[in-house]
Amino acid sequence: MDLPIRRLLRPRDPEEAVELLARYPGALPVAGGTDLVVQLRSGKVSAETLVDLGGVGLEGIAEGAEGLVIGAATTMDAIAADGRIRAGWPALAQAASQVGAWPIQCRATLGGNLANASPAADTAPPLLIANAQLRLLSSRGTRLVPLAEFFLGPGRSVRTPEEIILSVTLPPRTLPAHATLYERFTKVGPRREQIISVVSLAARLVVAGDGSVGEVALAVGAVAPTPRRARRAEAVLAGRRLTGPVRRDAIAALQEELAPIDDVRAPAWYRRVAAAVLLDRFLAEVAGG
Amino acid sequence: MAPSEGAPGLPRAEALPPTGHHPRPDAWGKVLGQTRYVGDLSLPGMLHAALVTSNRASARVRALELSAARSLPEVVAVLTAADVPGANSVGVIFPDQPLLAVDRVRMVGERLALVAARSREAAAAAVGAVRVELDPLPSVHDPVAALAPGAPLVHEGGNLIRTFQVVRGDVARHFRRATVVFEAEYRIGGQEHAYLEPQGCLAVPEGRQRVTVYASCQCPFYVQQAVARVLGLSLAAVRVIQTPTGGGFGGKEDYPSEPAACAALLAWHTGLPVRLVYSRETDMQLSSKRHAMVVRHRWGADGAGKLCFAEVETFMDAGAYVGLSTVVAERANVSAIGPYHVPAVRVRTHVVYTNNLFGGAFRGFGAPQVTVAGEATMDALARRLGLDPVEFRRRNVLDDRRRTTCTGTRLERPVLARQCLERAVELAATTPPVAAGRGEKVGTGVGLVLYGCNLHHGGQRLDRSSAVVILQPDGSVVVRVGLTEMGQGLLVAVQTVAAQALGVPPEAVEVCLPDTSTVADSGPTVASRGALAAGRAVLDAVRRLRRRLDPVAAELLHCPPRQVELLGGHARVRGEPERAVPIAQVAAEMAARRIEAIATGWYRSRPRRFDAASGQGGAYDFYAVACHLAQVVVDAELGLVRVARVVAVHDVGRVLHRPALEGQIHGGIVQGMGWATSERLAVREGRLENPSFTDYVIPTASDAPVVEIEAIEGAAGRGPWGSKGIGEPSLIPTPAAVRNAVCDALGIELFELPLVPPVIVAALGQRHPFAWLREQPADEGVGVR
Amino acid sequence: MAEPVRVRLRLNGELREFSVPPGRRLLDLLREDAGLTGTKEGCGAGECGACTVLLNGRPVTSCLVLAASCDGCEVTTVEGLLAATGEPHPVQRALVEAGGVQCGFCTPGLAVTGAAIIARGVGKAPERSRLISGNLCRCTGYLTVLEALERAGGAADGAE
Repeated sequence: MDLPIRRLLRPRDPEEAVELLARYPGALPVAGGTDLVVQLRSGKVSAETLVDLGGVGLEGIAEGAEGLVIGAATTMDAIAADGRIRAGWPALAQAASQVGAWPIQCRATLGGNLANASPAADTAPPLLIANAQLRLLSSRGTRLVPLAEFFLGPGRSVRTPEEIILSVTLPPRTLPAHATLYERFTKVGPRREQIISVVSLAARLVVAGDGSVGEVALAVGAVAPTPRRARRAEAVLAGRRLTGPVRRDAIAALQEELAPIDDVRAPAWYRRVAAAVLLDRFLAEVAGG
Repeated sequence: MAPSEGAPGLPRAEALPPTGHHPRPDAWGKVLGQTRYVGDLSLPGMLHAALVTSNRASARVRALELSAARSLPEVVAVLTAADVPGANSVGVIFPDQPLLAVDRVRMVGERLALVAARSREAAAAAVGAVRVELDPLPSVHDPVAALAPGAPLVHEGGNLIRTFQVVRGDVARHFRRATVVFEAEYRIGGQEHAYLEPQGCLAVPEGRQRVTVYASCQCPFYVQQAVARVLGLSLAAVRVIQTPTGGGFGGKEDYPSEPAACAALLAWHTGLPVRLVYSRETDMQLSSKRHAMVVRHRWGADGAGKLCFAEVETFMDAGAYVGLSTVVAERANVSAIGPYHVPAVRVRTHVVYTNNLFGGAFRGFGAPQVTVAGEATMDALARRLGLDPVEFRRRNVLDDRRRTTCTGTRLERPVLARQCLERAVELAATTPPVAAGRGEKVGTGVGLVLYGCNLHHGGQRLDRSSAVVILQPDGSVVVRVGLTEMGQGLLVAVQTVAAQALGVPPEAVEVCLPDTSTVADSGPTVASRGALAAGRAVLDAVRRLRRRLDPVAAELLHCPPRQVELLGGHARVRGEPERAVPIAQVAAEMAARRIEAIATGWYRSRPRRFDAASGQGGAYDFYAVACHLAQVVVDAELGLVRVARVVAVHDVGRVLHRPALEGQIHGGIVQGMGWATSERLAVREGRLENPSFTDYVIPTASDAPVVEIEAIEGAAGRGPWGSKGIGEPSLIPTPAAVRNAVCDALGIELFELPLVPPVIVAALGQRHPFAWLREQPADEGVGVR
Repeated sequence: MAEPVRVRLRLNGELREFSVPPGRRLLDLLREDAGLTGTKEGCGAGECGACTVLLNGRPVTSCLVLAASCDGCEVTTVEGLLAATGEPHPVQRALVEAGGVQCGFCTPGLAVTGAAIIARGVGKAPERSRLISGNLCRCTGYLTVLEALERAGGAADGAE
């Protein structure tokens, strides 16, 4: 059955796209459509006009001065397969390979996953621990927004209706001498594949040569109104050795940063327990060497 | 007496043809995308139908405003109960259910009006434009609560539809001798069929005199009866043709009569073909479900580890209308004790109205629920007696010496229950147990079932089947049967039986999907009866055809007709295989001489007696046993269950077609496993909150366990060549085995299903490393009703 | 009034042109405008995989793809898996021979994803299993499907 829209526009470049968004109030940008089409069909979202971003040239992953630049229209499948991302940002590659199932990954875009602003967006926690920066474009020009400031609430972000996401930049990171890096993305749901996260964790931890925690970055999804960094848990861990008490304190600190809800997928208490398990397992893996 | 003798029309054991293994006749069309399901059919001028339904579980209909909808462009008809020319009634057994509500709705999804429009978009717009005003009425959403005094009434006559019983022996006397008594209440959730093809049909009218309905269904005859009743037509004037059906599992047994009657009503009014195909969301909310049940047990065993008595009280959540619930109850009732010898038994099975989802047929038909409970209690008793669960079953399972069931049936020998159990254990031991990773626990569990094959005594009047066999002049064969193919392999089974009976290769036999104008009512394709009922009718038709064929062959072969055998594409002289003529030559000769080369066939079960009040007598015609042994790996911290391996040992009588048998067992195991571990129907006030594959979670390829199958052919059933039936036994033992394996892994007892992660974590209570995080006590907040 | 859009694409190797409403899904363009009913609608929400087709060689759930987004693209449906000679694709033959077809409704989408898995040269069973997990099947329990993918992968290797 056809979606109830009146008009679909196909700009040839990003400037034309934002000019159309400005010209047609209420118009929505669409890329892969894997979230938006579902919402249009269910009536959760409605729009007369769609602006198709598929032809504006926003796919591709390139190395730039500020870091690795991922075009907003790059698909999950491409991200999961990219050698630079797998090597340098493994949590992002893992997350991309777990968004829905393969046919969804071949269509869903990074920009779409972020713009949809679901609290459970799987690419958000890995991007948060990577200190990702978004470049947004409107007919007034571009602006840079750290991902940490991007999400406002379930389905809401600082992106205005007339803006599109152009790209996501991952700043380069260096590993100190004699340090070991651990990075992982895990998500929990009711079965192994093709699930919407009940809770997700992106964790990055550098263990210094003396065994203490150098850098640490933790981010969680589906356990708060937005994906978020777990800064209190990070603070507990930074500079410390991963003894039992330190790990327990980190898990307790993480709990303070969660605000999960009951929904049809899981009750809030289960999300708390699962988040604790995911962090505990990550820290145990690191501590185990 | 050898099992295969005494049954009419069945060959002697040594003459059994080989088990079939050729590809299914319908496989190529399907894999090439050429097979046309009802949603792929369209006719010029065809209209699209949509339903206006209630979004409340219990309400009075104050107003239904149709004029806005009627005036929308492309909308051709908007109909209500007032527009029904015949009886405004569906409901396969009991006339408690209107096709279209008049002044009262009793379930979310109850039909208020029907729309037909020139496009699906226009139909959807019309549905949105109908103004419905409902005044909420009190509703009831639990089958136990529904029987309490003062509970809101779903229908005038009270919420108890019926209670079925099994009473045998003196429970009080045996209670006194029990060393261990175990009591429990099991809360078992329903299940959504989740067939990949949603409900759908296409009705094509010819004036107001007759209508043809193409339907995705398991019983074209039920559809025929429902449409005839609603339109006030004779049965002959309603022709129902089954279209290739994308899965049924019981969900297309009686339910399709409802959309079909809707489409037919619209077609009758508009004079145009009308197609109705449900969206997935509509299908999940409206169509029938496996019954949720509360099963209460009090079972006891003595010091020697022998069962003394078993008391079961089951409350079945039927939803707002009876549908097939009383029939499901009949099977649940007599299956509640399992394949065990118990001297004293009292079973009560209450069928209860609520305003929840509509309960109906689903593979296993009441047995899976009571089997989960029964096998759980067996493990519980074993544990309390200090016995291994397998050993406890060994001591109690029915066998050749003690073979009287709780319904007083003496099972035919050999009774293979112990062999199935032993073989499952032996096979499981041949490979090393699955390894557990960090935070994981491994467990093993068994589930055993004594399955009554074919229809319960209560359904005897339906147990007949019609077939037509036409020998074409070139020796190819057309077979028509009344049973349906829904993926389970009915076509290949019938093809195999017909080919073997006529001695031709399978490729020479074409089997048609049923059409009510070409075969007589053959009942529903349910109760694992398809191959049996269709196959036996085909054998009968072949027998009759041979009365005319054999004399012609005999002439060509210069032998007496009784020496003619059909084998390898030839008619041959028995004992002298070199004296042979191709069957094609015999067929051509028959055609040249204008000898009738078409025959009908008939099957019906032998009548048997059964006393409904005591549940004693011939509940089923014959029985099959099966044992599934499951190995699971439980992530004890996240509460996630992975079924690693299932060993399935089945008493099959005879394997007609090996790949089809294995396909059923693989599919039954995975469907049963899904129900046990992840398929939760989230129902709140009668509304399904997860009507999508996003949140109603069925297994994917990554969840498939390793499966090993052993099919034992030692005890003949009444199907062709002694086969028994596999559709339901393939599913029933797995959920019990999985539940028992999870309990074994975690060292706890679980009393609800499905075992979704929050249920498991809650049940671990203080044993969970992060129990200190939980704000709520162990028996709350899990929300799995 | 909706403003129709022109969509030109190479559909199963043939250049086709359509004028469709802007809200038309690729799935409906295929089934209705192009008359290719092999691709099925099982859920309309991208969750079951019955509508899977190849878009520029990659599997996608066509119920979530707007037809208008496919202008200038290549689309392959189950009907297009046949070789130019009319030979079925190895994955189709393998599904039939391994007994991986029961009710058949998931089969077209599954065959298309399977063809993409073969084309990708995926050698390891767990990875094949992961990639096919977006195609739900309720009948087979997946075991014969996975066996078919393994056989077809071997057949494709052997053909090189």
